[in-house]
Amino acid sequence: MSTGHSKAAKEFLKNQTYSKWHDATFWAVRTKRDNMAYGLDEWEQLREKASQIKRHTITHLDEYLDQFAKKAEENGCIVHWAKDAHEFNEIVYGILKNHNVKKLVKSKSMLTEECEMNPYLEAHGIEVVETDLGERIIQLKGQKPSHIVMPAIHLNHDDVGELFEEKLGSEKGNHDPTYLTYVARLSLRNEFLTADAGMTGGNFGIAETGDIVVCTNEGNADMSTSCPKLHIAAIGLEKIIPNYDCLAVFQRMLCRAGTGQPTTTYTSHFRKARPTAHPMHIVLVDNGRSEWIGNPEHWEALKCIRCGSCMNTCPVYRRSGGYSYSYFIPGPIGINLGMLRDTQQHSGNVSACTLCLSCQTVCPVKVNLGDQIYQWRQQLDDFGTANPQKKLMCKGMSTIFGSSGIYNFGTALAHWANIIPSPIINCGLNPWAEGHKMMEFPKKPFHKIIKDLEK
Amino acid sequence: MSNKEDILKRYRANVREKFFDERSGKTGYDMPDLSDIKAITYSDKLVQFIKMTESVGGHVIEVKEGQDINKLVKEMYPDAKEIASNLPEVTIATRNPDTVGRARDLNGTDVGIIRGMFGVAENACVWVPQTMKEKAVCFISENLVILLPKSQIVNNMHEAYKRIEFDKEYDGYGTFISGPSKTADIAQVLVMGAQAARSATVLLLPE
Repeated sequence: MSTGHSKAAKEFLKNQTYSKWHDATFWAVRTKRDNMAYGLDEWEQLREKASQIKRHTITHLDEYLDQFAKKAEENGCIVHWAKDAHEFNEIVYGILKNHNVKKLVKSKSMLTEECEMNPYLEAHGIEVVETDLGERIIQLKGQKPSHIVMPAIHLNHDDVGELFEEKLGSEKGNHDPTYLTYVARLSLRNEFLTADAGMTGGNFGIAETGDIVVCTNEGNADMSTSCPKLHIAAIGLEKIIPNYDCLAVFQRMLCRAGTGQPTTTYTSHFRKARPTAHPMHIVLVDNGRSEWIGNPEHWEALKCIRCGSCMNTCPVYRRSGGYSYSYFIPGPIGINLGMLRDTQQHSGNVSACTLCLSCQTVCPVKVNLGDQIYQWRQQLDDFGTANPQKKLMCKGMSTIFGSSGIYNFGTALAHWANIIPSPIINCGLNPWAEGHKMMEFPKKPFHKIIKDLEK
Repeated sequence: MSNKEDILKRYRANVREKFFDERSGKTGYDMPDLSDIKAITYSDKLVQFIKMTESVGGHVIEVKEGQDINKLVKEMYPDAKEIASNLPEVTIATRNPDTVGRARDLNGTDVGIIRGMFGVAENACVWVPQTMKEKAVCFISENLVILLPKSQIVNNMHEAYKRIEFDKEYDGYGTFISGPSKTADIAQVLVMGAQAARSATVLLLPE
């Protein structure tokens, strides 16, 4: 009866020391977020405005996209449109090939993960170097991100230390995070200086000015675009917002919600290439978004600004880790985006939710994440991905709860189950006994207690 | 049909199908009024800006009337060999981001000195439009010094975005900088000095 998620979570939970650390670490980030939110009287007003701006923008996105592209072209940028992941990869490779690029440095971009750009470019002979420290760590390790903002959160400082000893020649046994960060700095500095092109994602695109806005703490997006002669920015369609007044709302919330900081260190506006570089390229990527907007229950997933706060607060994410989900974005938003992408492949994730709705309570743009997960669950049978065992149980329960006679008969007899010896009742054949002990049935059912009281 | 038209047409059709309201004849949601946001303000913006800068790992020094910033920077970084700046008032610069051959020639800069236009009290951001040929100086320097007139502090980002401007000559880039480059990507331990400046100091200039 276990879903893919719960099976993977079981593996994650085998290392109790680590899983406790993971839970506590994300709860600490959630607490930092709370401190930021409580520090602003206008926080809830900002959330409401942010949600309204996004609702407006994504239901008028065709106009804003057109405005953005025209403005960016006026600024001297070259704008490309990719309808899917494959086309995106081809476009990027085409630009790189035209400029004879051998090495590309890039800042963090979930879009390039979504499109699996790195393996595509590498297969075409281009060296791709991730420059966000977390992304660089997992790239060296040959892994995928386990969180959208803290991609290497599944590794501890010893894991990173050993990795750097092997890959970057760091001192043996020195696993101090400050030292390791310095080792990565030196190594990445060399990459920045020798790369032929830099790529950034984008947190926002501003329709009125054509700016691509990138928020980082490390300054790696700025380093990636300061030395190489070519800058390619890649963003999903839904990242476009109307103007600076809207940006102010999101800039104030993104980092407070995501990491509990008042701002990222750098909030950089890229409008055109620097004077000594080639024209800047912007690639706008659809890859499903123009269909998702028409989805009656799930269109609001397009409001997401990828802050990560829903996963930080999620009791299931905190206790199961990013790798327990089948989609590359984990947590509540990842469950929903995964289902929009492919219901067959990602139905196993919808069980990774207790419907506590903490996610939509903290979401800075009020995406109704938990409600959407509930909706997906109602559709599993239509997708043919409902679990047959659970279906059978539901049918059985409908029969029992649908008839007071059968129900009363059952509850009156249930206490006889108590005399079944524990090794038999708590064995593997009883799915209820997995992870919990079988409950003891009362001799007097609840209905009987109430009836006796009324006498 | 081009990709652009194709994508926009599909998007428009799906929006219309889901969001067209026959009664009002409108499609989709209206833009909210943003003028009524009750954003935080501070009785002393400068004090708040200083407090926030320190809390994000930056330093602040108030420059006194008549004090020489060149002397001050020398005192702050006595071992600095390479100082990069294109500001006319900086006479101790050994490199100029306007005249270097390539951006990468700025690597190895101990101190970069740049100008900020205004600061933001709520989060210590300083608006730095590109005012030099190679913006690398803002990031590649080990230590960054930002000159900022102390009267130029706004309360919050709403005010900030009402007044940001790009440079006339270098009109392609501008950034808000709040403290030094930092990361917590290794086991959530906060480390200053990830890929860009390892320290950031704001010199508050008298009017």
